[in-house]
Amino acid sequence: MGKSNSEIDRRQFLKNGAFAIAALGAAGVGVNYLKKLNKENAKTLLRPPGAIHEDEFIYACIKCGLCVQICPIEAVKLAGINDGLSYGTPYIDPLMQACDFSCDAMQCVETCPTAALDFIPFKKAGENALTDYQKANPTPGPDYNPFVVQSKAMKSNTKMGLAVINTTTCLAVKGEGFKGVPRESGFKGVYRSPNPKRQERKASPVNDHQFNREICDLCVTECPIGDTAIILEEKPGTDGRKQWQPKVLDACTGCGVCVMICPTTPSSIVIEKLEMV
Amino acid sequence: MINIKKLTPIPAKRREEMPNSKLGITFKEWKASNPNKNKWRNIRWGVLLFMNFLFWASFAFDIGILEGSLSGSRFFGIYLMDPFNALQEMFIGSSTGFFAMLTTNFFIGFFIILIFYFLLGGRTFCSWLCPYHFLAENTEKLHNYFVKKKKIKEHNYNKGIKYIFWTGFLLLAVLTKVLVFETINPVGIISRAIIYGPGLVLLWVVALLLFEIVYSKRFWCRYVCPIGVSYSVIGKLSPTAIKFDLSKCGHCRDCQDVCLVPHELWFVKRGEATKEIHFAGADCTRCGLCVDVCYGDALKYTIRGFDKIT
Repeated sequence: MGKSNSEIDRRQFLKNGAFAIAALGAAGVGVNYLKKLNKENAKTLLRPPGAIHEDEFIYACIKCGLCVQICPIEAVKLAGINDGLSYGTPYIDPLMQACDFSCDAMQCVETCPTAALDFIPFKKAGENALTDYQKANPTPGPDYNPFVVQSKAMKSNTKMGLAVINTTTCLAVKGEGFKGVPRESGFKGVYRSPNPKRQERKASPVNDHQFNREICDLCVTECPIGDTAIILEEKPGTDGRKQWQPKVLDACTGCGVCVMICPTTPSSIVIEKLEMV
Repeated sequence: MINIKKLTPIPAKRREEMPNSKLGITFKEWKASNPNKNKWRNIRWGVLLFMNFLFWASFAFDIGILEGSLSGSRFFGIYLMDPFNALQEMFIGSSTGFFAMLTTNFFIGFFIILIFYFLLGGRTFCSWLCPYHFLAENTEKLHNYFVKKKKIKEHNYNKGIKYIFWTGFLLLAVLTKVLVFETINPVGIISRAIIYGPGLVLLWVVALLLFEIVYSKRFWCRYVCPIGVSYSVIGKLSPTAIKFDLSKCGHCRDCQDVCLVPHELWFVKRGEATKEIHFAGADCTRCGLCVDVCYGDALKYTIRGFDKIT
């Protein structure tokens, strides 16, 4: 008695289907394992501004790379296969190229279609800043620029991490000055100097900037947020000598410009992610 | 699986009633006098390569025409979303509350893709845009060569398992809270490799291609890829289609030989067609290979509804 065609078809479907389910199950187990590994791995991976919590980020990001494309200074990069489950997701390596808010309007956050980089808090911060400004100055001065007010508030709303200073290698702590260009020759990183004398509208290479400081305070003067984020604190030393130390304050956004500009090798500042506690 | 009430096939034509019989020559002679043309294949490869070039050039030269990659992009500022990625996001989102955070651009992109591929129909994305398809389509010839030389055996599976994979990947995404499919998706991997530079992960794509060459023809595209399934569901009732005209058909089945999804051309076999006019089904990629190869113009591109007016 021969089997009908549909009967053979049905059996093949069941057989192949069982195989497919087994393969899917294996993939699920593998991914679950990788997810556990990724928790450790993601601690070192600094996400672009506005990134939601790592547990959500890992599924919210569809790895399209729009944030990479929009970044004017190419600070955002896509992680490679070495980063396991984070493969294809965006990160920032501040030592190579920090985020210096060159775009002014958090473009990588605004461009993200899936809200892995969530724009809503930035939007709110910008709007609040405008209303606050209008309340404080009912008749705005002639140099009033709503965009600047808004973008400043949006910048300050970023919380990628927190700068942590290594006090054993920091030049200021040692009481040393700094002269010359901050990074090794051939370094390609760029940033926009907040120094009012330069009035930079576009980012320029780090090594185009010549510094001459009695006490090294590059991280403090070049911070795009300013003295609400990092200050140089004077401390009386143990042997009566004056001692200096950069102190990171609450407004630090973790953008990493200080990491990039620090003239010591390795950099005396690192950015630590906040959310992984 | 699902038993559709089958229409009785139209009885096969006699040899004298074949379209070429009017010329007084045999089908073989007639076929030889109509050389194979590659019009649609060339157009299609042109579009595929140009669009992927546009993705690359938009980033490389910062011209901003087609930004992003195939998993999500922006065409002149208009967002486009990969439908399966979008579905996964929405499913995970509904289970975690992330759904409310999804942006307007996300839904604009999703619905534009839905409408666009509904109009084009079937798995148009596959053969007209997908870079993995381009590689697989060409390595398929190598596979066919090995089969013909009897170096390897053909391994076929049930075409229905792609729906199991589709559901499974969606479930996995919800259960593990990771875009499982996107991490192994060769389409996204190649697209990112083209745009952002190659990486070691391309070895996975090479492995897949090798598997397809030496073991099972077009394994990924036919039995696994949920992106293709999504598109085939979107474009199932699309107006654009491949139209089959039984009265012009000589039953040479050359079209089935070149077809990338031969089961969709089941009606070209002698005595199988149940209607005078058939349309290729949802898995049809609208690649046009059958249109190119058909000597009697029995297979043609058509827009359903409009073909009756002209």
